[in-house]
Amino acid sequence: MANVSSNQTSDSRKVYPSAAAALDTLREGSVVAIGGFGGQGVPETLVRALVTSGSKGLTCVCQGAWPRQDGSPDRVDVADLVEAGLVKKLIAPLPFHPEHGGPVKDHWEAGTLEIEVVPTGILAERLRAGGAGLGGVFLPTGAGTRFANGMEVREIDGRDHLFQPALKADIALLRAHGADTLGNLIYRGTQRNWNPVMAMAAAVTVVEVDQVHEPGGIDPELVITPAIFVDRIVQTV
Amino acid sequence: MTGARLDYPSMARRVAGELKAGEVVALGPGVPGLVPGQTAANNGVWFVSESGAVGYHSSGAAAADLAVDSSGAAAVILPGGSFTGVVDVAAMLRGGRVGMAVLQPAQLSAQGDMVHWTTVLTPGMFTPGSAVDLAAGAGRVVAMMRHTRPDGSPNIVEQIRLPVDGVQCVTTIVTDIALLTVGQEGLELREVAPGWTSDEVTALTGATLTVSDGLKEMTFEVPLLSPPDKIYATALEAVQDVPDGAVVNVDGFAGPGGMAHYLLTGLRDHGAKGLTMISNTAGIARVVNFGTPEGLVPIDHSILVENGQVAKSIASYPVSPSASRPSAFEEAYQRGEATLEVVPQGTLAERLRCGGAGVGAFYTPTGAGTLLADGKETRVIDGKEYVLEMGIKADYCMMRGHKADTLGNVVYKGTSRNFNPVMATAARVTVVEVDEIVEAGALDPEEIVTPGIFIDRIVKRPDDFSGYL
Repeated sequence: MANVSSNQTSDSRKVYPSAAAALDTLREGSVVAIGGFGGQGVPETLVRALVTSGSKGLTCVCQGAWPRQDGSPDRVDVADLVEAGLVKKLIAPLPFHPEHGGPVKDHWEAGTLEIEVVPTGILAERLRAGGAGLGGVFLPTGAGTRFANGMEVREIDGRDHLFQPALKADIALLRAHGADTLGNLIYRGTQRNWNPVMAMAAAVTVVEVDQVHEPGGIDPELVITPAIFVDRIVQTV
Repeated sequence: MTGARLDYPSMARRVAGELKAGEVVALGPGVPGLVPGQTAANNGVWFVSESGAVGYHSSGAAAADLAVDSSGAAAVILPGGSFTGVVDVAAMLRGGRVGMAVLQPAQLSAQGDMVHWTTVLTPGMFTPGSAVDLAAGAGRVVAMMRHTRPDGSPNIVEQIRLPVDGVQCVTTIVTDIALLTVGQEGLELREVAPGWTSDEVTALTGATLTVSDGLKEMTFEVPLLSPPDKIYATALEAVQDVPDGAVVNVDGFAGPGGMAHYLLTGLRDHGAKGLTMISNTAGIARVVNFGTPEGLVPIDHSILVENGQVAKSIASYPVSPSASRPSAFEEAYQRGEATLEVVPQGTLAERLRCGGAGVGAFYTPTGAGTLLADGKETRVIDGKEYVLEMGIKADYCMMRGHKADTLGNVVYKGTSRNFNPVMATAARVTVVEVDEIVEAGALDPEEIVTPGIFIDRIVKRPDDFSGYL
């Protein structure tokens, strides 16, 4: 009888009562993709719950930590996970704000955090390849720079391209504006940023949203991330 | 007496003088974020940020509500602007849609090699953020930087010792004392800031430069630009420069949905020959009944084939599913008049996506171990076999949307979306046929599927136009 509920109009099996409950598949050592750019589209409720859960040895994939010196002391992001000692490795284009430093810089300098710097577009395309089931892609980006060191180089149409392996995460922590109970997502403004591509690239995708709608409550023409990519939904408090 | 050093807003104003009408301009983090504020809000260019803001302007607000720029500063979306994701902005850059990028190097070489300010401030880690994408992807790369460090040593040098973020990428340099260009002959001093002489600038430059014969004092006019008119009166006018031998994306899935019927008739009437047609089917709408009323013949690719214009088809469903009802292309193929490249549907979509996104090639599991992998490179990655496939890009795209605004932003209706958004990105000239053209700003930025950045020409399908012959 397990399939009965899927025949009903409202299927709320993806809607979790709390962020903590939605993160129960997260294990020590998980690879965690975290959405957000410039303080927008950051899954703050989920990050707080992850700090509380205390899962250690995480590899986090994200834009990087954003400075707090902008009058938003309550803001949380990957820096809080690093500060709590939960992160073993960070994969990011800009791990911390170069002028403001913070926990990411401190832990890296102390040798307690490994960092892999991947330029923005390369990281995005590696995630997209992971999400789209590709083994890897050849990109012209970074050819001739240090990002080509040790990389496979191939000339395509007269231009050097670097092989970039696909990147997947065990779990993605994302932020959207609205979801229906099936998991279709809409975003608001530049909240979108890393979220749609990370939704594709994770084995389990958890999203926090401001509004949860019944199926049909979101115009099908407006859906950005189809429910197919979304496993768990938490409403922000 | 030496002139004053320019402040960053003045430098941004000079950079704004380099803008061209209709161009896509990607702005990196840091002082490039000042450029929009030096222009009129409706100046006919698309400012794009890695944040996913497309067609934005400075907001001036202290805290961001809806949108941020590459520095996280508040931005406003202009009428006709839209939102997208990080992966799509990087794809616009690599795919060649960005005419100009502005970034802030800390150091620059005489060859145009560049180290980004974020890299210099993170010694040992060297974090470039998006600078590598900006350096590698844009047509012109404008560096906006101080000419010297606080101790007076030059930021423009013969050879950079730090790890570079871009190789021979910078084309124009705007500093607080000069404007220089980087060309085959090396650095050329074109403009000096008010009160400065070429000798003074040369003395503060750590690389050999030549002084332009046309050297002048920098001025700060920002022309008011108008977006190019993308609207064409008829399908024929919109396609009349398609040359013989062109590669053309023809959208549509199989039946009438999402197919640019009107543009196809225009291309037929124009008559360009020897075309390579990239499409899902090679035209089967009239041999497979997709709800066509009795006695009517639907317009599809077949009208080009029958007119002797198609030399090659690259398609996933090139033939009719009914052997007794061959399509026009099948007949042409069997007569030896056209050649065929069969590409599985998902691989075709991915090849187009990669062509549009500037991805040279990709490894896909699709087709591994089948005939479709014959003669292709394969690779085992994490225990799974993949086939190497190449990105593909057309010269023209004939596509169909539901509505477009005057800037070319497109929304679709239902499954007429199909191949249209990806094909729009994968052509040098993309022509869209729509049911309705609306003013810029009439489409909700959140609903825009194909940003106008990818659309070159817009044609309204006449109200009395029939999709049937």
